[in-house]
Amino acid sequence: MEKVTNVEQLKALQSALSKEAEQAASKKVIIRIAMATCSIASGAKPVLDFFTEEMPRQPLEFIIKSTGCTGLCHSEPTVEVTLPGKAPVMFGKVDVKKANEIVNDYIKGGKQIEGILEVSRS
Amino acid sequence: MKAQQLKIALRNCGVIDPENIQDYIAREGYLALGKCLAGGSREAVVETVKKSGLRGRGGGGFSTGMKWEFAAKPQSDRKFVVCNADEGDPGAFMDRAVLEGDPHSVLEAMAICGYAIGAEDGYIYIRAEYPLAIKRLKTAIAQAEEAGLLGSNIMNTGFNFKIYLKYGAGAFVCGEETALIKSMEGHRGEPVSKPPFPATKGYRGKPTNVNNVETFANVAAIINKGADWFASIGTEKSKGTKVFALAGKVKNVGLVEVPMGTTLRELIYDIGGGILDDKEFQAVQTGGPSGGCLTVKHLDTPIDYESLVASGSMMGSGGMIVMDEDDCMVAVAQFYLEFTVEESCGKCVPCREGNKALYNILHKITHGSGTMADIDRLKELSVVIKSTSLCGLGQTSPNPVLSTINNFYDDYVQHVVDKKCRAKRCRALLEYLVIEENCIGCGACKRACPADAILGEPKKKHFIDQEKCIKCGACYQKCKFNAIAID
Ligand SMILES: Cc1cc2nc3c(=O)[nH]c(=O)nc-3n(C[C@H](O)[C@H](O)[C@H](O)COP(=O)(O)O)c2cc1C
Ligand code: SF4
Ligand code: SF4
Ligand code: SF4
Repeated sequence: MEKVTNVEQLKALQSALSKEAEQAASKKVIIRIAMATCSIASGAKPVLDFFTEEMPRQPLEFIIKSTGCTGLCHSEPTVEVTLPGKAPVMFGKVDVKKANEIVNDYIKGGKQIEGILEVSRS
Repeated sequence: MKAQQLKIALRNCGVIDPENIQDYIAREGYLALGKCLAGGSREAVVETVKKSGLRGRGGGGFSTGMKWEFAAKPQSDRKFVVCNADEGDPGAFMDRAVLEGDPHSVLEAMAICGYAIGAEDGYIYIRAEYPLAIKRLKTAIAQAEEAGLLGSNIMNTGFNFKIYLKYGAGAFVCGEETALIKSMEGHRGEPVSKPPFPATKGYRGKPTNVNNVETFANVAAIINKGADWFASIGTEKSKGTKVFALAGKVKNVGLVEVPMGTTLRELIYDIGGGILDDKEFQAVQTGGPSGGCLTVKHLDTPIDYESLVASGSMMGSGGMIVMDEDDCMVAVAQFYLEFTVEESCGKCVPCREGNKALYNILHKITHGSGTMADIDRLKELSVVIKSTSLCGLGQTSPNPVLSTINNFYDDYVQHVVDKKCRAKRCRALLEYLVIEENCIGCGACKRACPADAILGEPKKKHFIDQEKCIKCGACYQKCKFNAIAID
């Protein structure tokens, strides 16, 4: 990243980046895969690999993010999918099979599928 | 209405990519540092943190603003900011989650602290068992330096701040700030008596401000949103939120962040989803090895520093272990003492020898040879250890013993008088018996018994010789006719 040389520049950068993120969210599918120690221990790596291989084959714009802990240890690996303009949906205990279902049925097919977790947001 | 989580320290965890500084900046990252460097005087920064009411999340609950003020005061050629990422409580992983999920929030806060107290060097003391957190911190530090947000002349304001990592070898006592500093200096990780406090004489003899990871994770949000905003959350004396690692017999095991003042009941039932398999709640242990076990009558206690202490436990760093009817509270106390005995640095006698003595008495009780006098002895010894130990480890280690004696006295009495364990956890106190009506004499138990303790002819009632039985439970597992009972 380019060096930030003064505080005003940082503010400008922040608003540009947050706008960029907002715009991306309005047209791209955002997939967040928790990659904390606990998630990796319960099998998040192959799930991340699946999404990074599978999504480019889809006729969709998307962003895949590996994040930290979502706090949902009881349901790791977790994957949060935000379809453009929709509320985020959190899937728990995701394995490659489930990930396949998420891509084909939920993201592409627009169907409701099982495994959605209730999360309290703030 | 169900209690809800409120994420301040964990605001970015699970949302941003921790290895991408732009993700952090997009969510107002480093703006708080910018705000301090561009506008706020050092004193104003300290004042904001003070006014917010933020208190240390590492256990003690000391006012963070006041601590910064103490470290800001002395004139010195060098000062240091230290982040305590030693996180040694069994089962706790709040700090790991922050470091893995949002490392920049800690780096930014350390730089703000450096500016406020007049330090140019920050150290993160992190246990070597956290390789992923270390990796992400290293990446974050490199990215922040490249972006000119850490290092020399940050954003051309003339402020320099560099951050280094120091690795701990995973000794619980090294989380105690004076032992931590000793360990950073390359000495044995043994606490020294305070004063002098690190704020006047810390790392390399210089004024040093030590804060916990979660404490730091709140700072940028406070600067950005203001002290009044933060102070509006929580209770009168405990502001903001607290992160807990919810574990044990609760449905939703995991990491939660709730406003101070949330009750234990709300945390366990609304957010934790209640007790696993719908069993009966028995106790909740807060504060880790320094805390206590609270019971049903404490469920409506609001979670704040003072209330938890008043009910016989403490906030601690955020471990919270829920226990159900199948847990034996005497055995729980013994478990914590075993940990303490292992982790005591051995420098002072009450802790080194006293905790061993406590452990031995508990062992006696869980193995059926305890007496009523032993219970009194536990209490007496606990008081002595608490009042005469040098550091926080010994000063709090008897808490699990005292709180279980206070809240589960009947269980202790049952162990020493009836030689029974209600929860059927203390193996030495169990009795395996054949239920005669059910036994068909198949002999499966007899063949499985490693101690030759089962007698009986084929097709006749079998019988367990209690003298020989080693209580391994094999007969209970093998019998297909529900003919073995555990008493
Ligand atoms: C035995 C013992 C272990 C401790 N372990 C930790 C720890 O792992 N992490 C931590 O932040 N504080 C720990 N503390 C508390 C520190 O001594 C110190 O109070 C704390 O780091 C100050 O930061 P805070 O004011 O932000 O809480 C421990 C204290 C004792 C007595
Ligand atoms: S109380 Fe225990 S851990 Fe602390 S200095 Fe004494 S022996 Fe060491
Ligand atoms: S296994 Fe059960 S039924 Fe068979 S002999 Fe033993 S107690 Fe009796
Ligand atoms: S508990 Fe073990 S030792 Fe005792 S009778 Fe059963 S199998 Fe034998």
